[in-house]
Amino acid sequence: MKKGLTPYLLVSPYLLHFFVFIAFPVVFSVVLTFHKWNIIAPMEYTGLNNYIRLFQDKLFLKSILNTLIFLLIHIPLQIVVALFLAEILNQKIKLRGFFRAAFFLPVVVSGVVVTILWEQLFGFDTGLLNRLLVTIGFGKVGWLVDPKVAMSSIAIMATWKNVGLYIVLFLVGLQTVPKHYYEAADLEGATHWQKFFKITLPMINPTIFLVVILSTIGGFSLFIEPYILTGGGPLNSTLSAVLYIYKQGFFYYHMGYSATLGLFFAVIILAVVVIQRKFIEGDS
Amino acid sequence: MLIQKNKIFFLSIPLILSWIFFSCGDGNGAREEILYWSSNNTQEIEFADHLVKQWNELNPELTPIRFQPVPEGRSSEEIILAAVVGKTTPDIYSNIWQGDVEAYAQAGVLIPFDTLKGFNEFIYERCDSAVIEEIRSQDGHIYQIPWKINPIMLIYNKNIIKEIGLGKPPRTYKEFFNACELYTKDTNGDGYVDQWFGYSEVLVTWWQRFFDFYPLYLAASGGAPLIKDNKAVFNNKYALQVLYFLRTLYEKKYFAQERLSAKIDVFLSEVIATRFVGPWEIIHAEKFKPKGFEYDYTTIPVPDDFSGPVYTYGDPKNIVIFNTCKDPQLAWGFIRTMITKESDLKLLELTNQVPRRKNIDIESPFVEYFEANPKMGAFAKQSKFVRGTDTSPVLKEIFDIISQEYEACVIFSVKSPEEALRDAENAVNLLFLK
Repeated sequence: MKKGLTPYLLVSPYLLHFFVFIAFPVVFSVVLTFHKWNIIAPMEYTGLNNYIRLFQDKLFLKSILNTLIFLLIHIPLQIVVALFLAEILNQKIKLRGFFRAAFFLPVVVSGVVVTILWEQLFGFDTGLLNRLLVTIGFGKVGWLVDPKVAMSSIAIMATWKNVGLYIVLFLVGLQTVPKHYYEAADLEGATHWQKFFKITLPMINPTIFLVVILSTIGGFSLFIEPYILTGGGPLNSTLSAVLYIYKQGFFYYHMGYSATLGLFFAVIILAVVVIQRKFIEGDS
Repeated sequence: MLIQKNKIFFLSIPLILSWIFFSCGDGNGAREEILYWSSNNTQEIEFADHLVKQWNELNPELTPIRFQPVPEGRSSEEIILAAVVGKTTPDIYSNIWQGDVEAYAQAGVLIPFDTLKGFNEFIYERCDSAVIEEIRSQDGHIYQIPWKINPIMLIYNKNIIKEIGLGKPPRTYKEFFNACELYTKDTNGDGYVDQWFGYSEVLVTWWQRFFDFYPLYLAASGGAPLIKDNKAVFNNKYALQVLYFLRTLYEKKYFAQERLSAKIDVFLSEVIATRFVGPWEIIHAEKFKPKGFEYDYTTIPVPDDFSGPVYTYGDPKNIVIFNTCKDPQLAWGFIRTMITKESDLKLLELTNQVPRRKNIDIESPFVEYFEANPKMGAFAKQSKFVRGTDTSPVLKEIFDIISQEYEACVIFSVKSPEEALRDAENAVNLLFLK
């Protein structure tokens, strides 16, 4: 009997964690979607009102589109920059260890710190980037104050912050490409670019897909950067879906509606990841 | 069968522990004291500490008052909300923002003061009828005591006003534009303005409008409300004048369109000459101002054809008793000592915040204080003409809607003031229908 009890006792800490921090919040969130609740007053059953409101909410739609715009800029930029740097860091260059560590450094720095740092760079009148542009004869860019540019600025910052992680992944991918492929290509007189496009890229395809998936999931959770840098502005151009859900929940205490948005958004992410997975499986 | 029972037993352990965990916050147990939370700034802690010690010494036979600053958090509003949810509220809380009270009152977590002995006589002695109506809840009860205000006024650099040839700070929109024209400059010749006459935060965060649109609206309208009887009433000529005024400031680059707040103090470093702020700036400016720097406060700018007293937003912070209090009458007895003339003077001296009581600008001992502190005198004069917030449980959403339209109209000029006001009015009215 003692032997029979022990396994349950051993798994009980995990079960406690699971029930308190996963199962209960998930179930409670689903229940919330059918209620109006501002935390301080009792919950009020509202049926499907939150779902009806969701489909009429233009700002939520805009926040999803903003998130997709961010992903469209961020993912290709991330892949190109990370692959380019990984390719360089894969060569025998001086101070290679130092550069590898330096590019990884922003990954371990707090997102808030990075965001505040970039705020100084992006300033319109006194920011370093615009000072540099003016010095070399260009006009100033409204990095954070122009609605057409602000999301791109955030994507640039997010790329800088995360690129180190993807460099590491690409480095692993690059080092698994068998050297004799390149030797054979050299014998055939292939150029550097031909080797890159005909050998390297096809061989690291699985790594590229991994980076796409990780960037997509990370990109969908875009929050800290617009929250600190722009508050979702200008003109809601950087209002990400997660920021909008957060605002509904913790600015206005529309807990029911916020839970509905969260659930709907989780379904979207799930759908995108499933499609990506199908695509990858089909490809492999 | 036994194993089956054990399985059920062990699987139920996490559920039981979860139940215990979620029951922890229900702190309704008997408390042999009255707990008072104050704001957590140093000066107010000193004020609260002094009062509580005095009360406990003078009233050893009564349940003692225990004081503690509001626990640390991102904002005191969030801490109070968490305490309400967890039923761990203090008995007394000073420093509650007036705009938050209605939501708590409607949730039934506050004690109505007008049901306590001696309150009705007291409140008419302390405040004039306009203030009493302002704090009255939609159900007719009064759940808060007007305690202190920080009126928003125009701080200005005296040297700059002299340098640009003006004898006095601008009072009307026309004078303000003229001063802007004289001071706004591209100092390094790179083709971009880098010296502005004023600055206001361009973020859309709802409370930022307490430092631009709202005080200007109150000034232009003589203190008119934004909402009345659950209906938007701000789509009027005053709001229109204010939006046109603010929009011009950004269109003509008199105000910076980027955030300057993350940098050096732009007012003390003369990057800007004016700003809409409260009396808290005095302590900061006195500490950090460069040698020879002179500043003062004046009223908020008004439309050119304006006459009469200039109102502004008072940023009122009040005192409430939560319904977790076992002895509200005793709590009220303590609060009365917090707002006597002597205590109000102490608050003023320690914190530079103006007690919200009538005739503060003409009654002793306050007059003597303002004579000795002339910069605070401007706030004493202004204190007769301040408004708090309208009574609504959805005030934050209302200001958020206004702020969104403000951004589109004032900062980016993608909507006309007429369109912005109409859209804001419709959105606010929709809010009341939900």
